Amino acid sequence: MPSVIEAAGLTKSYGSRRGIDGVTFAVDEGEVFGFLGPNGAGKTTTIRTLLGLLRPTDGSASIFGLDVWADAPRLHERLSYVGSDPAYLGELTAGRQLDDICRLRRLPKGIWRPIAERLELDPSVQIRKLSRGNRQKVGVVQAFMGDAPLIVLDEPSTGLDPLMQREFLALVSEVRAAGRTVFLSSHNLPEVERSCDRVGIIRDGRLIDISTVHALLAGHWRSVNLVLAEPAPPGTFDLANVQVVSASARDIHLMIEGDVNPLIRRIAQLDVRDIAVTTPDIEDIFLRFYEHDGEPDQ
Amino acid sequence: MTVAAFSLDLRRSRTLVTWLAVITAAYAGFISVFYTNVVENAAQFEQLLEAYPKELLAAFGIGEGSFADPGIFLTGYIYNFLWPLVAAIVAIAVATRVAGDAGRGFLDVVLSTRLSRTAHLCGSIGSQLVAIVVVAAAMFAGIYLGDLLIAPDFPETRVALSILHSVAFGAAIAGPATLLAVILLDRGRAAGIAAGVLVVMYLFNVVAALAPDVDWIATVSAFHYFDLRRLLGDGTYPLTDSLLLGAVAIAGWAAALVAFRRRDLAA
Repeated sequence: MPSVIEAAGLTKSYGSRRGIDGVTFAVDEGEVFGFLGPNGAGKTTTIRTLLGLLRPTDGSASIFGLDVWADAPRLHERLSYVGSDPAYLGELTAGRQLDDICRLRRLPKGIWRPIAERLELDPSVQIRKLSRGNRQKVGVVQAFMGDAPLIVLDEPSTGLDPLMQREFLALVSEVRAAGRTVFLSSHNLPEVERSCDRVGIIRDGRLIDISTVHALLAGHWRSVNLVLAEPAPPGTFDLANVQVVSASARDIHLMIEGDVNPLIRRIAQLDVRDIAVTTPDIEDIFLRFYEHDGEPDQ
Repeated sequence: MTVAAFSLDLRRSRTLVTWLAVITAAYAGFISVFYTNVVENAAQFEQLLEAYPKELLAAFGIGEGSFADPGIFLTGYIYNFLWPLVAAIVAIAVATRVAGDAGRGFLDVVLSTRLSRTAHLCGSIGSQLVAIVVVAAAMFAGIYLGDLLIAPDFPETRVALSILHSVAFGAAIAGPATLLAVILLDRGRAAGIAAGVLVVMYLFNVVAALAPDVDWIATVSAFHYFDLRRLLGDGTYPLTDSLLLGAVAIAGWAAALVAFRRRDLAA
């Protein structure tokens, strides 16, 4: 499968400030690629460099085979981008702003309406009067209008309520089903887990891991909280990949790493009143990466 | 694409330009109405002028001559006072918008579309020119309306030609201001430096008028090339000065286009 995005040793420094350092990855056609990292890790710098807004200090990157710096306007014909909290013109209505962007992308006026209706965005309201979440909806509409073969999203669902986040994930699924490619920067692990095929993790400007979402989660601890009708028999949770964090008579808190099936079989033998499984959040995963590197937690 | 960028930029300038045009026309019209009164009382006005410090008269570009002369009157009250202020406001406000858009992130929105940097800045330059022309035309309209109301016998054709030179002066501010905005990508700093340089140029022009020994410093001042007294007096159009101001504008815009294409948009 051909690569849509290719970055090789991509480096961007802002004088004394760190940007990104030697970032190398490829995103295949039709793939939803998650780009994970905490705030300040270098996600936005990577995206702005890929969009040709920043000139790489070193290394190179191409999108659809076009150099991101030299051929920026040509490659922009084939992509759609939205950043987190996009800076629209407050004095315009959402509809007017979207029509302006349609014009700049040579899309038919009003093509955004069906997506705006799905996201329950009122296009007649001035952008300055919209809440953060509604402004972000304008961004999501902008990203998904038209049929650009590549959609680049920088923390697009920040500020969206859970219903709208679900709608956003549905839009991503539809785009993937249509064979289009998505580059999704996020610090929201459940969002990435639900929508992405592969994930790259960036920390302190360096890409430290690329793996499938399944592999990423399988390699990290999950929290399992059980409320039992009766105390569990001794040794019930004696499994190699399970750690008992705390256990009272009926409340059990476990941590599990990797394959969950053996634990599920053990739990199935118990009279369970309630169960909660929590995936690790991005901070947990980063802490693990710090530990693996033997570096101090900061 | 340039047309799309131009119309977007022009729409964003609409409020500023409309208000400046209204204020400029109103002020120019209001002042023009008093010209008849000045002519009728020319002797007293000249007596009054003699009482003014030379420095103050120089600051308003008033040298030899009488206020009853329409050239001296319009230069002193409108071209050397109103227009530099209005031209500086409109030119700097519109020219430095690109830096403001970079700071707030709007450039990312438009430059991640098919719009190239060159097309974006060309659209901005086009809207700068339109904004300056509209406000200059409002100045002419104000003077013309005053003329119609009181019939003070202004030389309308010469006043109309003076608008062309006024536009060249405004453009000579806008071109370098655009370059500053593109280089600094900081609207506050770009606007501050552009305004500061204009003030220094204005002072150079005043000092040169007062001290013949150092009158050469006027040659580095844009105001030195914005003298409409001859045009309004005997109809001689300051073609060389217009071309020079136009060349400064074009050089500024051209350099801004080159710099904008090459530069990193790091905020």
